[in-house]
Amino acid sequence: MEVYFYLRLLSKTGENKRMKNSSKFQWLSSVIFLYLVNQAHGQKRGVPHDLKCITHNLKVWDCSWEASSRINHGTTYEICIVNSSYPCIQTEKTHFEIPALSLAEHEIKISSMHVSGNSVTKFILNERSVSLVPATLQIFNLTADFSTSTLYIKWNDNGSVLPRHSNVTWEIVVLYKEDMEVATIATLNTTLIGKDSLHHWSWTSDIPLECTLHYVKIRYYIDELHFSGQKEWSEWSPLRNISGPPIKENYEVFPQDKVVPVGSNMTFCCVVEEPVLTAQFGSERCSLIRLDNKSVAIEINNITVSPSSGTNVVFTTKSNMYGTVVFAGYPPDIPRKLNCETRDLKEITCSWNPGRPTGLVGPRDTNYILYERFSGRNVTYNRDEEHMNENHQLIFQMIAGQEIYNFTLKASNPVGRSEAVILVDVTRKVYPHTPSKLIVSDIDPTAIILHWHLSGNFANITLLCEIEINTAYSGQELRNITVKGLETSSYRVSVDRLMPYTMYTFRIRCSSENFWKWSKWSNEKQYLTMEGVPSKGPDIWREWSADGKSVIIYWKPLSINEANGKILSYDISYWSEEGKQHLKIPDPQHRAKIQLDRNDCIISVVARNSAGSSPPSKITSMEIPNGENLKVEQIVGIGSGMLFHWNYDPNMTCDYVIKWCNSTRSEPCLIDWKKFPANSTGALIEYDNFRSGTRYNFFLYGCKNQKYQLLRSVVGYTEELAPSVAPNFTVEDTSADSILVKWEDIPVEDLRGFLRGYLFYFEKGEKGTSKIQGLESGRSDVKVKNITDITQKTLRIVDLQGKTGYHLLLQAYTDGGIGPGKAMYVVTKENSEGLIIAILIPVAVAVFVGVVTSILCYRKREWIKETFYPDIPNPENSKALQFHKSICEGSSTLKTLEMNPCTPNNVEVVETRSAAPKIEEDTEIKSPVADGPEEGSDAEPENHVVVSYCPPIIEEEIASAGGEEAGGSSQVIYIDIQSMYQPQAKPEEELEKDSVGGAGYKPQMHLPVTSTVENMIAADGLEKAAGYRPQTHVTAWNLDSPDSPRSIDSNSETVSFGSPCSVNSRQFLIPPKDDESPKSSNGGWSFTHFFQNKPND
Amino acid sequence: MSQREGNKVDLQSHSSASSFSHLEAKIRQTHSLARLLTSYAEQLLQEYVQHQGDPFGLPSFSPPGLPVPGLNSPAPTHSGLPTLERLQLDAAALNSLSPLLDTIRHLQADLNPFARRLLRRLEDASHQSRALGSAVEVVLGALGATPGPPGPHPMLPENPGVFLAKLLGYRVCGLYQEWVSCTEGDLGQLLRAGLG
Repeated sequence: MEVYFYLRLLSKTGENKRMKNSSKFQWLSSVIFLYLVNQAHGQKRGVPHDLKCITHNLKVWDCSWEASSRINHGTTYEICIVNSSYPCIQTEKTHFEIPALSLAEHEIKISSMHVSGNSVTKFILNERSVSLVPATLQIFNLTADFSTSTLYIKWNDNGSVLPRHSNVTWEIVVLYKEDMEVATIATLNTTLIGKDSLHHWSWTSDIPLECTLHYVKIRYYIDELHFSGQKEWSEWSPLRNISGPPIKENYEVFPQDKVVPVGSNMTFCCVVEEPVLTAQFGSERCSLIRLDNKSVAIEINNITVSPSSGTNVVFTTKSNMYGTVVFAGYPPDIPRKLNCETRDLKEITCSWNPGRPTGLVGPRDTNYILYERFSGRNVTYNRDEEHMNENHQLIFQMIAGQEIYNFTLKASNPVGRSEAVILVDVTRKVYPHTPSKLIVSDIDPTAIILHWHLSGNFANITLLCEIEINTAYSGQELRNITVKGLETSSYRVSVDRLMPYTMYTFRIRCSSENFWKWSKWSNEKQYLTMEGVPSKGPDIWREWSADGKSVIIYWKPLSINEANGKILSYDISYWSEEGKQHLKIPDPQHRAKIQLDRNDCIISVVARNSAGSSPPSKITSMEIPNGENLKVEQIVGIGSGMLFHWNYDPNMTCDYVIKWCNSTRSEPCLIDWKKFPANSTGALIEYDNFRSGTRYNFFLYGCKNQKYQLLRSVVGYTEELAPSVAPNFTVEDTSADSILVKWEDIPVEDLRGFLRGYLFYFEKGEKGTSKIQGLESGRSDVKVKNITDITQKTLRIVDLQGKTGYHLLLQAYTDGGIGPGKAMYVVTKENSEGLIIAILIPVAVAVFVGVVTSILCYRKREWIKETFYPDIPNPENSKALQFHKSICEGSSTLKTLEMNPCTPNNVEVVETRSAAPKIEEDTEIKSPVADGPEEGSDAEPENHVVVSYCPPIIEEEIASAGGEEAGGSSQVIYIDIQSMYQPQAKPEEELEKDSVGGAGYKPQMHLPVTSTVENMIAADGLEKAAGYRPQTHVTAWNLDSPDSPRSIDSNSETVSFGSPCSVNSRQFLIPPKDDESPKSSNGGWSFTHFFQNKPND
Repeated sequence: MSQREGNKVDLQSHSSASSFSHLEAKIRQTHSLARLLTSYAEQLLQEYVQHQGDPFGLPSFSPPGLPVPGLNSPAPTHSGLPTLERLQLDAAALNSLSPLLDTIRHLQADLNPFARRLLRRLEDASHQSRALGSAVEVVLGALGATPGPPGPHPMLPENPGVFLAKLLGYRVCGLYQEWVSCTEGDLGQLLRAGLG
């Protein structure tokens, strides 16, 4: 500013010089030079410089300048505002105060007067060169709430000295710990209102204020829009710290017993002299945070809900344990289901559900206040520890004349609050107490008076009550009544439309007419109403006795509804020959026998109780005769009853009666009867005692002029069942091919339905193997006959086999099913004619064949002899050496037996002498077989059978199976050849006769001799030949016979047998000729040996 | 005769056999009561720590023995005192414990209103402590000794913090257990010494 002044000054004084100096550079240099000289000169002489002006309130400017203190001492200044009416100021100080000047520039002339000389300094001053620096603030008040760790700061904004509506920004700094760390910095904005205002600010510390020192300072900034100068923050206020708790408590751990919301973050500190070793939050160990030399802290985040006794926070030192407890819980839930009602219109009960548990109990539990807005009254909830878990409720005493209540239920606990509101018209929220003292009194048999007590003042409303009327017979009935509410509590009401002489059970409950809730039911009260006159006469019927001399009159007991009391007796009156007769029958009896002739009369019956007699019931003794014979009809029930239909008959003026009885009962037939109106055309008879499978007789009567006429007679079943017994049947007659059975009727009581037919089953089988119990129609071996003609009592079964056993079964059936069956076993007789025929025909045929054969044989005996047994047989033509046809059947190669060139090696001398020479000749025949090798016979390729003329047979026990030729050991049994010599094609007996008894010539066949056989025979030697042996064709025998020798060569069809050959060697096993051997003279051969299984047999 | 000898109990010196047997029965009955209450006191302490939260229920929990003005644990020298003197101390301590237990019950009723069994045990313990103290005094009277002078009324801080209240409760329950057990021992010793 001073430079500015100088520049202005020089600019004025130098205008002339500028004119003289043309060089700008020279001019500028001169100015700088002069300025510096002036400065040096001014300072040297105490000339004011650096004039600065500030304002605290925009009203007064406080200006100061710099001056050498040496020179300044003893200097007097005169400050004048040029061209201003403001008087000059004389001062020895280097600052002055002037009222705020206008926006224009103002020249300030400061004259310094000193002994060393005077000087004048001029400054140009305007508002832009003035700074607005608010005055330093003093904190008016600083307090702390240690329970909440909250600081409260108050200060005055000095609004009275500052421009109105100025915006002010406040900056507050809280410092803590010994080293004054910044705890928080807060900025606030306010507006000045033209007068002093007290502002306050609070701050809640994260850590308890007791844990360490806290300091506060404040400054501010005024944002005055109309001020064009510089605006600056005020100086900080002096630091203020918090004085300690007002009462020093012996606590070392802070905060003490704090109640916080669940999820809070907390800092706990312990202020003790000795070092803290550990800290624990519940069961959790925590790390220590050192605050200062005496204080440590722990931080807990997101605290969970505490147990009932809180969560312990424990700090442990070497010698001690310090702790506190924190209770973390929820704020109270909004009360749910808030409901207010009255039970007596004297007090209102408000109940609610507290909702979610807060987790806080005891003194920290939720407190409830019920506030009524209209009256301004409230009720506080008193916690009853004994009923803590029950529904919460408060009782509010009603205010006279007030029906509408506006309740607010306020819930609060240390961590929060909530409320619920309800507007109640109590006359619509009446829930009366339970009615009591129920009393009943009589009016008449059908009406009573009910008295009860209901506490409360219901004078202003109408009560709605419900009476429950219970009887054992008619069940439950509810009747609603309205009763004018009373101030007193005694109520009474009449109840009518009751039944006489009936035990009733009453109970009652009430509500208001504007229904809200029923009260609870009162206790029950039983009461028997008075008796009344029976309302109608008994239902009567009569039956004539079997002898027709008396009538039995029946009546039914009156129902409870009709009797209206206890029936004491029945009065019966009728007219007889002696005049009007009266009978009095005591109650349990419901029939009376009256001796009557066949005269018609009217019988009257009345029931009597203590209240009087019923109207009479009348019936005539006689029936109207039925004009035609009634046909008995059949009927089957539907469901539980029997349905009858009849045509409408206008002549029937009284009613219809259906009477029924069990058909198996003896007369008189009466179980029950039922009456129907005269205009009815049908009836359903339902009777509890109807039983399925029981036949009942029904009789329909019509009433005409008080007289009954039988209209229909019906038999029926309510439900048909299958017969319970089997029909009893017998076999009347049997023959070789038929059976006649006869059966009896099944008794009605066993039939259990209308008989529809019989099922007759029969099957062939042996006794004791009956399948009769499992007869099924689907089985093919069981025949069944369905007899639908129920009058049929016999059945003949035909087409049976003679002398054969049959199982019979007979069953009866109804529409209800098939009954059990009766089974029987019968054997048909033998068929004798057939048997005779069967015997005679074969015998006759046999005789005939025998005769014819005999005749033929006789006539052809010569030919037969020539052919089969010639005197000198020609082997070539011998038929005997051909195989029997039957033997050869199946053989593809029927051949004449070729004689094996087995040269007789022995000549058998027979008894006939004449044969001896022939035998001698035979002995000369050389057998080529003797020369052949043994194997040669096996290798014979020709397709023919070679019958070795060898000793017969052989039994071999071969050690090795399968005919192995290499078998080393074989046993060969030689059989007397003589015994085997038998002729071919003769009965065995004849053969034996021929071989043993025959002493003549034995026919032989010539056998073609092959070289191989010859060799074999040659090898054996001629002496081994055993004479003539009959041979035959080999294929005539069964080659598969176990004993039939076969060729070893399987490819060869030539089989050699008949010779006693070893199956191993195929060598003829005829023993060597032994002249002395007696066997040789008996050498022979028989076909029978070929058929022997074993030679020994 | 020394003081100790003067307090020596000689049950046999009682005049009649009936009074002796009555005294013996009384001592035996009181001893049985003390033994029963000893087991109850253990259960009470266990029940108490269960409801105080950790670390009270932890095995490592061993708080410093808080001083209860007017009542201390049985001194180590207690067993060296004469029998009657010991019984006098027992009776005084038991009588002092009763109001302390009442106070603890009230504190716990705020902290654990739903811990009905704990509250009932505390209430019972208060009654039983007074009953046992009275029974011991009866025994003392029967032995010809007068009950000891009432000690200073034990006091608890008026508004202890919750944690301190828990600690005090723990301490009082412990004291109760110690004194009941001590009484049982003293009565047992009296029985052995006098009847043996």
